[in-house]
Amino acid sequence: MATIPRQERFLSLLDEHRKILYKVASSYCRNEADRQDLVQEIVVQLWRSFGRYDERLRFSTWTYRIALNVAISFYRSETRRTRHTVPAEGSILEVAADAPAPGEADDSLELLHGFIAQLDELDRALILLYLDGNRYDTIAEILGISETNVGTKISRIKQRLRRDFSRTN
Amino acid sequence: MNLEDLKQRWEDQDRKLDATLKLNRQLLQMATLGKAETALRRLAFLLGIELLLDLPIALWLGSFIVDHRHEIRFLLPAVVLHLFVIGLIVTIVRQLAAIGSLDYGAPVLEIQRRLESLRIERLRATKWTLLLSPLLWTPLVIVAFESLLGVDVYARFDMSWLLGNLLFGAALIPLAVWISRRYAARMERSPFVQRLMRDLAGYNLNAAAGFVDRLARFAEE
Repeated sequence: MATIPRQERFLSLLDEHRKILYKVASSYCRNEADRQDLVQEIVVQLWRSFGRYDERLRFSTWTYRIALNVAISFYRSETRRTRHTVPAEGSILEVAADAPAPGEADDSLELLHGFIAQLDELDRALILLYLDGNRYDTIAEILGISETNVGTKISRIKQRLRRDFSRTN
Repeated sequence: MNLEDLKQRWEDQDRKLDATLKLNRQLLQMATLGKAETALRRLAFLLGIELLLDLPIALWLGSFIVDHRHEIRFLLPAVVLHLFVIGLIVTIVRQLAAIGSLDYGAPVLEIQRRLESLRIERLRATKWTLLLSPLLWTPLVIVAFESLLGVDVYARFDMSWLLGNLLFGAALIPLAVWISRRYAARMERSPFVQRLMRDLAGYNLNAAAGFVDRLARFAEE
């Protein structure tokens, strides 16, 4: 009896935070089939963990944690290329046909996605959270590191980006 | 161009996503309420099957040990096998307990550390199973023939045959490791075999240990 309202609540919360799934999946997979697999894996994990969701935590923080945990494991899994759990007829997240695909919007975004792809799985999580406008204390809470550490790392990534851009131009 | 400019472009794209990104509720309901499983639950299922297979073997060996407690020639190989199977059971139970206590909603570094420890446990179990299998073949023949067929292998085959088998098994271990190190990279067409070879060669274990180090550095810096 309680399953339906719980499921409805989950679906509406997920709908509000759907962009997180899309951005995490796009940051960890450049191939469409892998992206769909990863979104499904994240959604299933979110649903399976929903019973343990602690309301004191913001839903976005909880979603980021689960999405990044699943994405990093997916990225590290040596079998990800052979696993396809999503039926071919559709995808959980649908982007309007006229919308640009990730990284195709313009040159600077393409450049940014290229830069993200060069980062390892942990720095990728950090920069994604930063680009999404999260505060340092929120990033620290999601990743489980200190706020000072977040600041140091972001500053290093900025320096690296500056170096890479000056080399490219 | 710097990171702040790119952040601005990211935010612009983010606003566009509000209008262009939709959830496919029908597929979502199939994924959440259907039979879709996470990778970890699939692993837990496989471990459960492995446990179900190992438990009767442990019981069978235990019963064999009791029955042959005064015959050292049967007792010794049975104890070796029993210790191996108990070791497997312990590692399976530890992995199942680790999976059961994982909460993906915990901070990323904590979960990644625990997942990697789990991976290391699994890799070690696979590596030692593969390494010890050639050595366990001879005690298995001795115990299985006596228990299932009532045939005393010591009487049927001479001691040099048994010792030869043991030595052959021992020689096979470094050979298998050498072959795995040399040819694992060339087995791209058989991902399963490649994974086993990488497990045996210790490549996957080294990679997992390397990731644990990276997690520690990431947390400390």
